[in-house]
Amino acid sequence: MQTSQRKIKLRNGNQMIAEGAIYAGCKFFAGYPITPASGIYKGMIDLLPQVGGLAIPSPDEISAIAYCVGASMRGIKSMTATSGPGWSLMIETVQYALITETPLVIVVVQRLGPATGGATQGAQGDILFTEFATSGGYTIPVLYPTNPRECFELTVKAFNWSEKLRTPVILLSDKEIGMTTETVDYSDLENLIVENREYIDPENSNFEDWKMYGFKDAKDIAKFAPVGGKIKVTATGSAHNMDGELKKNDPETISVLKHLEDKIQSHKDELIDYEYFENPNSNTLIISFGITGRTVREVIRRTKKMNKNVSSLIIRSLFPIPENLFKTISDKYNRIIIAEENLNGQYRRLIQYLFNNKEVIGVNKIGGMITPQEILEKI
Amino acid sequence: MMEKLLTKIDIQNECTYMTKGAQMPFCKGCGHTHILRKLDEALFRIKLNPEDICLVTDIGCIGLADYLFDKVHTVHTTHGRSTAFATGIALADKVLASKKLKTIVLIGDGGAMIGLLHIVNAALLNTDVTVLVADNFLFGMTGGQQSAFSPINFVTQTSPFGNIIPPLDLCKVAISSKAQFVARKISTDKDLVDVIAEAISFEGFSLVEILELCTEYAVEKNKLKGTDLPEIALEHGHQLGLLINEKLRPEFSKIYSEKFMDKPFEFNLFSQFLSTENVNLDQDKFQSKFGESQLEIIIAGSAGEKVQSSAALLCQSAALNGLFTTQKNDNPVTQGSGFSLSEVIISPQEIFYTGVDKPFAIIIVSNDGLNELRSQNYFEKITSDTILIFDESLNMPVLTSKMYKLPLRKSCGPDKAALGGIDFLLNLTQPFQIETFKNLIQKRFGSYENLYKEDILKYLN
Repeated sequence: MQTSQRKIKLRNGNQMIAEGAIYAGCKFFAGYPITPASGIYKGMIDLLPQVGGLAIPSPDEISAIAYCVGASMRGIKSMTATSGPGWSLMIETVQYALITETPLVIVVVQRLGPATGGATQGAQGDILFTEFATSGGYTIPVLYPTNPRECFELTVKAFNWSEKLRTPVILLSDKEIGMTTETVDYSDLENLIVENREYIDPENSNFEDWKMYGFKDAKDIAKFAPVGGKIKVTATGSAHNMDGELKKNDPETISVLKHLEDKIQSHKDELIDYEYFENPNSNTLIISFGITGRTVREVIRRTKKMNKNVSSLIIRSLFPIPENLFKTISDKYNRIIIAEENLNGQYRRLIQYLFNNKEVIGVNKIGGMITPQEILEKI
Repeated sequence: MMEKLLTKIDIQNECTYMTKGAQMPFCKGCGHTHILRKLDEALFRIKLNPEDICLVTDIGCIGLADYLFDKVHTVHTTHGRSTAFATGIALADKVLASKKLKTIVLIGDGGAMIGLLHIVNAALLNTDVTVLVADNFLFGMTGGQQSAFSPINFVTQTSPFGNIIPPLDLCKVAISSKAQFVARKISTDKDLVDVIAEAISFEGFSLVEILELCTEYAVEKNKLKGTDLPEIALEHGHQLGLLINEKLRPEFSKIYSEKFMDKPFEFNLFSQFLSTENVNLDQDKFQSKFGESQLEIIIAGSAGEKVQSSAALLCQSAALNGLFTTQKNDNPVTQGSGFSLSEVIISPQEIFYTGVDKPFAIIIVSNDGLNELRSQNYFEKITSDTILIFDESLNMPVLTSKMYKLPLRKSCGPDKAALGGIDFLLNLTQPFQIETFKNLIQKRFGSYENLYKEDILKYLN
């Protein structure tokens, strides 16, 4: 019995995201109330003053995210949290964060849509809505935990990648993860690594070559200079060259626009996060994420007792799409079941081209969690 | 080639924060040129360190200012949102960083309206942001459409027969938003530099609305001269000059820092775990009774009667026994009225699926709870083994073989009826060492024995 060594608290996903943000060094949060994300706002209001940070109520979601972008430009790690209706309002500003290469974590706790939908009903309906929110089709990294402990881990990861890649990162959650209080084991969470954006040092010998939006190759990320520091910052939401100067029809400016995408794609293998359970006798693989990933874990638990053979891949980094991982793993199977709590298989329709000559089956539903039985029926 | 390091700029001798040799991009006679030159003069008068100035520009002609000021930080933003970005920059600087930054917004009348709420909130916060509104009564960059600041009868591309909507008095809005420094000036005013300098120096939110003419779209169609501007303002009841300048409220960071930042930060995420030291962990006992199945317990009652916090105590006691738990709460959006419901799952192994399949027990302590269980079809999920514990006041049909009608409300009171129901269930089924639950009640309410006026445990037999 290991129990006495476990470090247990009762926490929900929202609280664990707030705690993960504190652990990651977030010092600024701006929030606007919305079910089912309000718990993160409340968590940050409670925690940030205790660690020398600032959590501020904002008059709407546009202000919330703009405050965060401003704070991050000043050099402060920032986060905001919302749900679908609030995310709708944030889309202009998340693009601004993207083009100005400003690190930022945005949590989207999904609820039933469209529009106001169902505030207290879970859903996985914002997969496409979060990822395809930019004009030009840029990739925003999207991470999606399955439980409160993973909420903590992936919040830290979201901050790390947002800092390293100087980009907004979206942490998806949903009502069932966010608002269900569970026994959470904190063991080893204190060993997670926290990474910070690199600042340019004017004393550095490379300073003369440094540009705020410069790069040598796809993977290269320019070191950061904060507004209010010794180095002049020129930021703009318009197309700009490596110095941040507004330009159009200029090859350097086009290369900067391309690099915004290239920097994400060239790091995509490092961003991959997943849980794979392989049953060597199975020809069926279930792909899932978020709350549905938990249903699939239950399915695996039950099939083990039923002598049914099935494997599971729970994906925690939805975007950039880990194509190679999907290809490599799916190679062993001829039936792919993709389960997600939305109307018509948002993620399935994006990835099914990777499963040529295989039977691809969707398990989809709205208005409630997908049950173990509903997946078992498709095996 | 501009200087990368703002610290290298010697503002004492350079006399300007503007880019040497840069051409003003504006039309001949445009008020923007005046405003930006006066801003530069004002900055020079205050002699701020270049690194301590951030210009945040909006969309529109006035937002072309960035490249004209190469000796300060410039942030060119989205339409109307400049004040919001500036608020974030200023809050972060004043509370969490150098505390020296002066953040100045350059916005037009179009931007001021689409971003009105950002101006209102920056004023309410009283964060150290100066908003300079270049008000030329229309959208210039997009072809001269009317704005919320267009005077009555103003002819624009979109008000060809004269505007019929009255213009917004932004200064009044700012004052209503508790702004403490607000002025309305004309771009050619001789004291404009003084007022801008004073606004920037002001510790806290300040706003200067500067009236000017769009020479391209306003002058010809409306037969206007710059000298007509004061009259246009006054005709609409918009006062001119310094409208308010007081320091009754400290700047935001002063209040925040005093309240939260002047103490040591000793917070530790990895403390206060549930103490399992003195508990005889009872997973094995649970397993011998219930196998690996998870116990799904539903507790239903009325809002305000501590249904959900009682359910939380159940989870806590199960967790103290080394078991896994989940708890979902449900109530109407109004929170304080109608039903209140908790779904608790207790299991010897990690709980993956958190939905209720086959309830182990349902505890119902009020009619609100009963009605909600019915409307959410919970009774369709029960089996003949489901334990039903309900208050004696409820009209329950016989649904299972394990029905317990108890005087919960009478014995425990409405706000402890759920607690009593849970205690009864634990005594009935003994899923784990239930002393932990009693201890929690004792800790929370002083005494376990006082939970009951009438001993309901006698109904166990």
